[in-house]
Amino acid sequence: MKAKIAGLGILLLVIVLASAYTLLGKSRETTEISGYVGGEKIGLLEDEEVQKLIERKYHLKIDYSRAGSIEMVTEDHTGMDFLFPSSQTALEIYESQYGNPLKSEIVLNTPIVLYARSVVAEALMSEGIAWEEDGVCYVDMQKLAACIEEGTPWAEIGLPELYGNVSVSTTDPTKSNSGNMFAGLLANTLCGSTADEDSLDEILPRLQTIFQNLGYMESSSSDLFDQFLKTGIGAKPVVAGYENQLLEFAEEDPDTWQQVKDDIRILYPSPTVWSSHVFIALDEQGSAGIDALMDEEVQKMAWDRHGFRTGINGSASDTGQFGVEGIAPEVTRVMNMPDAATMERIIEALE
Amino acid sequence: MKTGRLAVLCAAALAAVLGLTACSGFGGGGADDSGQNADTVLGNGRQSLKIISGSENQELEPILEEFSRDSGIRIEMTYQGSLDIMRELEQEETEYDAVWPASSLWLNVGDTGHKVKHAESVSISPVVFGIRQSLAEELGFVGREVSVRDILDAITAGKLKFCMTSATQSNSGASAYIGFLYALLGNPDMITEEDLESPQLQSDIQALFSGVDRSSGSSDWLKDMFLEGGYDAMVNYECLIIQANEELESRGEETLYVVYPYDGLTLADSPLGYVDHGDDKKEEAFLKLQEYLLSAEVQNEIQRTGRRTGYTGIAEENKDVFRTEWGVQPDRVLSVMKMPSTEVLFEALNLYQTDFKKPSLNIYCLDYSGSMAGEGRNQLVAAMEQLLIQENAEKNFLQASKDEVNVLILFDDRVLAEYTAVGSGGELEALYEKVKEQPTGSGTDMYIAADEALNVLQQYDLSQYTPAVILLTDGMSGGSYDAFMEHYREMGEDVPIFSIMFGDADPEQLDELAAATNARVFDGREDLIDAFRKVKGYN
Repeated sequence: MKAKIAGLGILLLVIVLASAYTLLGKSRETTEISGYVGGEKIGLLEDEEVQKLIERKYHLKIDYSRAGSIEMVTEDHTGMDFLFPSSQTALEIYESQYGNPLKSEIVLNTPIVLYARSVVAEALMSEGIAWEEDGVCYVDMQKLAACIEEGTPWAEIGLPELYGNVSVSTTDPTKSNSGNMFAGLLANTLCGSTADEDSLDEILPRLQTIFQNLGYMESSSSDLFDQFLKTGIGAKPVVAGYENQLLEFAEEDPDTWQQVKDDIRILYPSPTVWSSHVFIALDEQGSAGIDALMDEEVQKMAWDRHGFRTGINGSASDTGQFGVEGIAPEVTRVMNMPDAATMERIIEALE
Repeated sequence: MKTGRLAVLCAAALAAVLGLTACSGFGGGGADDSGQNADTVLGNGRQSLKIISGSENQELEPILEEFSRDSGIRIEMTYQGSLDIMRELEQEETEYDAVWPASSLWLNVGDTGHKVKHAESVSISPVVFGIRQSLAEELGFVGREVSVRDILDAITAGKLKFCMTSATQSNSGASAYIGFLYALLGNPDMITEEDLESPQLQSDIQALFSGVDRSSGSSDWLKDMFLEGGYDAMVNYECLIIQANEELESRGEETLYVVYPYDGLTLADSPLGYVDHGDDKKEEAFLKLQEYLLSAEVQNEIQRTGRRTGYTGIAEENKDVFRTEWGVQPDRVLSVMKMPSTEVLFEALNLYQTDFKKPSLNIYCLDYSGSMAGEGRNQLVAAMEQLLIQENAEKNFLQASKDEVNVLILFDDRVLAEYTAVGSGGELEALYEKVKEQPTGSGTDMYIAADEALNVLQQYDLSQYTPAVILLTDGMSGGSYDAFMEHYREMGEDVPIFSIMFGDADPEQLDELAAATNARVFDGREDLIDAFRKVKGYN
């Protein structure tokens, strides 16, 4: 009996407290917007500090579903407030299909890089395919592309423990941005300058062979990077990705980074291409997302905590904080991506 | 129940308001009824996570149970092959809160609706061959690098027979199959669709699959079957070979030697992902589970089950699990073959189902006894409609292959009728009319029907087929088990006798048959399609 009364007391207390809690909570309305986001930006959007800041200053909550940059603009996106792909190509494709969006803006930048296990990086350097300059490792795309195209076995460049031929694992260029940009970069490399519709006839068959030999490709950059780290040298000797992925990983998981840092190198393709993360607002609510993400504090956190370069030319104020060696202070050897029409033909050919 | 639920709600509300973690002093209202279809329910918390998982994770249940106990989050595990999980994801709606296939490949391919988030690899295990130690030595596979071709040569020479999971249901089977295709095609840079059309490949792979002893729908079941059966070899995850060896060693039996085919290796990366239904509490519960599984301590526990975890290889202290005398190579560079593009991959899997694998020889014994009258008979007829009418069967990947043989034996206390259909055409569909027309009779003797099934089997060259007997019955039978088993043993063939239960089912006699013939009993009233898929996976 006593227990029953005590139970009732607790129940009443709970009811009082709970109603007070809900009333207080409702005093400021937070708007929730949802959209498709490329996997590499999820760390930023899941960052509690960033979420809190955006909620406090902009009364906004950004919910997302993960999707590849290309598929999110080409496939059905009804009911979404925004799309957040990782390149201007995706925006251009969107525009060609749906016209101008309500609003769009580049909010983050990061260069396409390659990640390799140290022994692989060393093998590439001793073959003259890569080189080191002021502690930063660069890779000669002409030479690397030639190796891939010719089907050079790993064993021939001094890595007999690896089965098969030299290759770079990328995400599916028809679905995901990092793979798409790597395809653009390869297209540029094969024709020696920014690829355009005139140069396509010659390089398309070559690109097709290269990508066909890659076989199955992941559809998300974050999955690919996670697999690179976890499955080891045998499964993914070299992968293409974004520079920010490693910086973010080192920042978020410094203990693990300490364990693996001697085994992993960043290689900057020379030249490389910029991945410009464009926020496409589909409605008014969505455009509030642009204001929130362009906030100075959010932009600072985007670099400090997630490794996205925010200045247009990508000069980083400080690279020491990540504890990652070999980050390029500036990314200057950059090519333009082929234009959207060219990229669409490349995607078609690879589909 | 009502007051119990209220008390739990109060406790939860109180905890939320005061910022406490859930306290277990109240309630004990028990699990609600949603866990009914799960294979295993861990814990009895209010908050639940329904996970559809590859059966290899069955081995992690103690670790999951610990989490359930400490967190108050109930975990409902449903086990299926990874390709079946992929098909589940492809559906518009899924009831599961999380998916945990063996490889992220199937997750990516299946997640066309972008329902999955937070997917992260929990552990890694390569797909390898486990071969009886003495046989591995005899074949010269010990202490040297072995190619898929070396293994194929041993199989085609009749020196090696092996078990593998179904390539169209399970990741390990699919991985092994793709490895075989590369080897038979002479290791091209990449398998193409043209390659798959080659008649040479077709005859080579058929010859190869004649060496398959038994098949199953998912990897852990394959391991269990292997341990019951006295087979020579199996294709499975390194971690499951290690676990099988631990069991074999404790029984004092010969262990398996692990062979890593250097040109046909794949890795299972075991991704656990959340299926977003917009329930924040569930998402929180999921992330809690994921964080737990990826914590350093639990990763180490998982490593002790023979899985590779973490970023820096196998810890020195766990090397005793990855025993080198079993051929396990903890420090091996796991260099993998490339999986073909999805189009080629699925073309290859279709060919496996329709052309390459050994055709099935299915003998269905249908119970028309008096006790099946009414509901039992209705369930049975509806079941056969799903299987025999190919348009229905196709929806659930149950369609017959072109050389498949299906025999129906209708029985009560005697054999009432017997029908045979070859292939997947009209002959097979016509059998449905017979099933529909047959009225129920009197007493039951399923042993007579099963005995007739053995007579039918003896008319075929069983090396060319994967045979199975499937009883569709309520299981309450007269007749003699002993007499039947005598005939079964005399025949000397490894034929599983599965049962799918209907009506007022009683599993006792069916369990006895299944145990004696290394098969399983399914409940056709709960999830018939699942039962059929599992039976199909085994043959």
